[in-house]
Amino acid sequence: MPSSTPASGTGSREASLEPAAGGAALRLDLRRLPHTRAWYMEVWIQLLRRKPLGTIGAVIVVAMLGAAVLADVIAPYGFAQTSLRERFVRMSAEHWLGTDQLGRDLLTRLLYGARVSLYVGFGAVGVGCLIATAIGILSAYWGGRVDLLLQRGVDAWMAFPPLLLLMSIMSLVGPGVWNITAVLGVAFGIQNSRVIRGVALSIREHTYIEGARAAGAGHARITAGHILPNVLPTIIVVATTGLSTVILTEASLSFLGLGVPPPYPTWGGMLSLAGLDHMYQAPGLAIWPAVALSLAVFGFNMLGDALRDLLDPRLRGG
Amino acid sequence: MKQYVLRRVALAVPTLFLVSVIVFAMMRLMPGDVATRMVEGHAYAPTLEALRKDLGLDRPVHVQYLEWVGAIVLKGDFGRSYWTRQPIWEEFVRRFPVTLELAALTILISVVIGIAVGIVSAMRQDTPADYIGRVGAILALSVPYFGLAVLVVVLPSIYFRWTPVWTYVPLTTDPVANLKIMIVPALVFGVTRAGPIMRIMRSALLDVLRQDYIRTAWSKGLGERTIVLRHGLKNAMIPVITLIGLQTPLYIGGSVIIEAIFRLPGVGHFFFEALTRLDYPVVQSVNLIVAAMVVGLNLLVDLAYAFLDPRIRYR
Repeated sequence: MPSSTPASGTGSREASLEPAAGGAALRLDLRRLPHTRAWYMEVWIQLLRRKPLGTIGAVIVVAMLGAAVLADVIAPYGFAQTSLRERFVRMSAEHWLGTDQLGRDLLTRLLYGARVSLYVGFGAVGVGCLIATAIGILSAYWGGRVDLLLQRGVDAWMAFPPLLLLMSIMSLVGPGVWNITAVLGVAFGIQNSRVIRGVALSIREHTYIEGARAAGAGHARITAGHILPNVLPTIIVVATTGLSTVILTEASLSFLGLGVPPPYPTWGGMLSLAGLDHMYQAPGLAIWPAVALSLAVFGFNMLGDALRDLLDPRLRGG
Repeated sequence: MKQYVLRRVALAVPTLFLVSVIVFAMMRLMPGDVATRMVEGHAYAPTLEALRKDLGLDRPVHVQYLEWVGAIVLKGDFGRSYWTRQPIWEEFVRRFPVTLELAALTILISVVIGIAVGIVSAMRQDTPADYIGRVGAILALSVPYFGLAVLVVVLPSIYFRWTPVWTYVPLTTDPVANLKIMIVPALVFGVTRAGPIMRIMRSALLDVLRQDYIRTAWSKGLGERTIVLRHGLKNAMIPVITLIGLQTPLYIGGSVIIEAIFRLPGVGHFFFEALTRLDYPVVQSVNLIVAAMVVGLNLLVDLAYAFLDPRIRYR
């Protein structure tokens, strides 16, 4: 008797396993279990349902991603394409947002600017999350002297005003996309290792860790197989809420001329003091990069906040 | 209490040591040799070797470190600027009041705005006033302060023929003129920093207002003003103060940009100028002094907590 026919959606169907020699049949209820989604799908659906601001943030972030990926296709001009006859053109059909002191199209440069912000943002957050996870789990799992040493180091690092230290380091290693990504990544990692450590500390005390140890699991298996998966939601929260900070920091360093060097367009660089004299002639040169930067920070902030509430409400209020 | 103070002070010492190690290592371990850049960029010495000798880079690393720290601890000697040839410490002390005033005004403005809006938002939860407050806080969080500062410098001069005052007047010579200069940068910086304070004030006050002793206060027949300001606010202030304490490094870091835009002769400007002139002894010393100040400030805040709330001492 076939006992494994899939149950149809509506009617309940029961299958019976006939025992070999009479007696009461064991009845199995084969109605489909309530439909469950994977947690990462659930988060997005909850975001759309319950978090209108988070949804707006997600839309902005997606738009920015689109601008960054498709900049080559949708941008009307080249980002370094100068045209001295068209300097300081006002908003027009040819140049939607006008042009700058070298006749470069502002809209084009804003679109490419999204690319730099995202490169540096995602790159630095990626590097930073690896570092934060490594330091955090190491510090929490080993405890004792390792923890004490690492945490005093983190303490010392946190005593520096972030911008001051980053400016010094960037001045020493020189400006550049890779340099700023690496430097911001390390800084982000050290700063956020505290959060990961806190979560890993509480996970370490759970009985299933003790169980794993009793079953003979080694350090590598416990940290990678048992602690890491449970820290993962926190890592995602740290990453999404941190993106806006990293993008803002990149912009402030580029603003000071210590981030991504020209001619590559960055929002921070477009706002910078070097171009201040030109902004008096065409205020759009100051307004639009500031708007783009604010929108990006707003988008990542809102998305990050919403994801934090959905993934790990304990971290609220930071 | 005495034991707690001793323990906290003892904990600050290794932190200070590590701070000095970070600063020291940064100047020597980073790719791109400091001396090469200083000679090529600004010709601070005739040859590379001469500058290395002058900076002490030709000696063993541990000797360099001990001499550097020894001079600071024993003689208070932070070295000299290569650009001005003046002692760094004197220059720092001369410029510090400007930065301190900017930071104090900024904190004052952000705290007043943040707390006031936060209280109104919490008292009138889910009313238009609350929504306006929350949207305002989100806006303040999103607009970068340097972008706002550039707009404040550029736009009014185009549309209203108004510019910020560019020549600095010290507070001691003419307080009124000084305030006129400082108020615009402090407002720009303070408004953008009020966002997080408002948000934490609102959520902390909402938490407190749901507690039993507040219900008791209501049932005693006290007025709303007394309940919120007298009973609620006191307990809701703790996370707010923690946040302000945590943010002091941000105020100092931000002052670099604000002082550069508004041309205020503070420590931030000193630091930024030194950086653009590759004057690395100044960069090194300012980093160290500021970080040491933050460590000291954190220590004071911790001690103040323990003084205010005896439970903390026994944790």
